[in-house]
Amino acid sequence: MDNVVTHEDWKVCFSELGPGLVLFARQWVHSLADAEDIVQEAFVRFWKRNHSIESKGLLYAMVRTIALDVIRRDSRRARREAAAMSETEQSAQPQFQIEDESQQALAAALELLPKDQRQVLVMKIWNELTFAEIGQALGVSQNTAASRYRYGLAALRKTLPPQ
Amino acid sequence: MNDFSDLESQLKSLRPAPLRENFVARIEKAMIAPEADKDPENVIRPVQFQRRWIAGLSLAAAAAVLLLIRVNFKTPAGDKRVASVSPVPTIAAPLETTQRQAIPNTLIPSGATQVVYHKRDEGLLFAQNSDQPMRRMRSITRETLQWRNPSTGASLRVSYPSEQIELIPVSGQ
Repeated sequence: MDNVVTHEDWKVCFSELGPGLVLFARQWVHSLADAEDIVQEAFVRFWKRNHSIESKGLLYAMVRTIALDVIRRDSRRARREAAAMSETEQSAQPQFQIEDESQQALAAALELLPKDQRQVLVMKIWNELTFAEIGQALGVSQNTAASRYRYGLAALRKTLPPQ
Repeated sequence: MNDFSDLESQLKSLRPAPLRENFVARIEKAMIAPEADKDPENVIRPVQFQRRWIAGLSLAAAAAVLLLIRVNFKTPAGDKRVASVSPVPTIAAPLETTQRQAIPNTLIPSGATQVVYHKRDEGLLFAQNSDQPMRRMRSITRETLQWRNPSTGASLRVSYPSEQIELIPVSGQ
């Protein structure tokens, strides 16, 4: 079967989804280079298999699967990543474009969230996935995804200083 | 129920870090590259292992044929015997001499065994350009061929390991 999409199609698509995908991958591997490798493998595989870009849940599920494979492939890396995640989580390469102090505080508060909640927030806020798509990507029910989102926001509100 | 819309809009104003230039270039390169190069290492392409095993099995078969040719299976031409009632010998020859004449002085196949001592299901794989999955079964066997010279009592035994791979098409339900 020929790939009916054009060269420019994937570029447009990737320019829209790329930053969010990398941000999502960084919820598993903190290194930007590793996250880029994961996103590259997932996106190229997704695109070459002619999946509809509408099935975003599948694309994110691929990113998650590849990220977990990368972690399993190298247990030392997994330990390193786990250690990095459990520390203050201040990465050398920031995940966001910080413009002011309030955004700095927001990004820092986000890092303190439990991983499950943070993943859902990243998928919902910066990747604009529905709860059904998030559930598909993470292998949980739609209701679980929605609950994690609400818990995440509530925890974030508690952490943030009152304005 | 809490309203998180203000927090959501705050979060949306936070923008993910932009993609690095070289990353997009890498993606472009990977898009152009043929997909066959991206096969994971643990996938064995059927054509490759078929070639390898066909070569291996051919060599084993050739070795066996050479061994069989080397051994003379035919009984000596002058020793053609037909089942019939033997006349009573007029002169009673010594028993040992008669037996020696009847027993051919050559190696005769006396046994062949094939023992399958390990069979493993190696899972499903997709043959190239095929959507139908196939199940790969690997059998490890030891084949033993044996010849014996009844005249001298000498025996020759050749034993060699062999490995066989079967691809069994799996049909969906």
